[in-house]
Amino acid sequence: MKKTVDFIKPAAILLVVAAVVALVLGGVNMLTEDTIARNNQEKVESAMQAVLPAASYEQLEAPEGIDALYEAAGGGWVVQVTKSGSQGNVTMMVGVDTDLKCTGISITASSETAGLGAIASQQSTAGEAFRSQFVGLASPVAVTKDGGQINALTGATITSRAVSSGVTAALDACANLG
Amino acid sequence: MNAKKQLTEGLITNNPVLVQQIGLCATMAISTTLFNGIGMGLSVLIILTCCNVVISAIRKIIPEQVRLAIFVVVIAGFVTIVDLLLQAFIPALSSALGVFIPLIVVNCIIIGRAEAFSSKESVFLSFRDGVFQGLGYTCVLVIMCLVRELLGSGTIGGGLLNGANSFITLDGTGAGFRIIPEGFGAGALVLPFGGFLTLGILMAVMQYALRKSNEKKARKEKEVKE
Repeated sequence: MKKTVDFIKPAAILLVVAAVVALVLGGVNMLTEDTIARNNQEKVESAMQAVLPAASYEQLEAPEGIDALYEAAGGGWVVQVTKSGSQGNVTMMVGVDTDLKCTGISITASSETAGLGAIASQQSTAGEAFRSQFVGLASPVAVTKDGGQINALTGATITSRAVSSGVTAALDACANLG
Repeated sequence: MNAKKQLTEGLITNNPVLVQQIGLCATMAISTTLFNGIGMGLSVLIILTCCNVVISAIRKIIPEQVRLAIFVVVIAGFVTIVDLLLQAFIPALSSALGVFIPLIVVNCIIIGRAEAFSSKESVFLSFRDGVFQGLGYTCVLVIMCLVRELLGSGTIGGGLLNGANSFITLDGTGAGFRIIPEGFGAGALVLPFGGFLTLGILMAVMQYALRKSNEKKARKEKEVKE
């Protein structure tokens, strides 16, 4: 009889501890859920405003190869696309005008090397200079090493390639809309 | 056990990173800007202190057989709480540290302190242990960040200081203060192997200093005896 108790008691205590922790987590989740959703929404909206300002955006069905596609109220599209960089995924917003030219890019999530690839997403002179190269370009976009027109960031060719291929994918996706 | 001894242990003689050599993975991965270093250090400090207190409070009812499982459940709970709070209130830090916040669950510092300290000592001592060990961890991170950021990218306080509107920013957009002109930093130091290099040198310096101080202490004792 004693053996059964020995076996059940630890399990019961573990169960109680896990249940209490789960309850607390549920509470914290309830408190933070809305703020987190609002943060993400704000991030997406400010990125869209940065690449192609418009009064409103309407989400369209995203074709294959891109994450999301929005039609801007004043004409043109904003495309969210993810490409793999050197340390992980690089997610960016690309603005495309009705002539199928890039109006600007904004990198919303990346984990590139600090001081090298991370410059692509920073609010610094070097970062702005890198991103502004894409403005006005039509598909295909590539770095100079691959015969394109983008000067890659020093020491971050892979990141620069990822951004270039993302912009190309975004432009092509809009071109195929018809 | 007095507070001063616990503080010296956490910061120097039993420093979690430099002496116990635990929690190295995150130390190497995120110590590239001051913003990351302080953010990660304080997150670990808070989680470690909370876990220490809770585990110490329930140490008498934790059955021996399932103690590790209970530690992990408590740790995972606090890590998730901190993760959610960061996502809600300091989203820039959350995106800069990325997967390393959830990974604090498997950071040896916390389970190590639970097993070695808070499951045996009183709540008050465990609280102090959490704060001091967390401080020791934060100090090492800050030193690593300062060295790697200064020599690697040529700035001090990247992400945290010198923001557009204020001296200290919490949104991770601070430009930091440029000490070495752009393009002249030793870029290798911000890469993972630069992390190994910096940590290795820090550990060597620490071991040297500890040995010197021990030798001095031994000499003094000898003199007293004679």
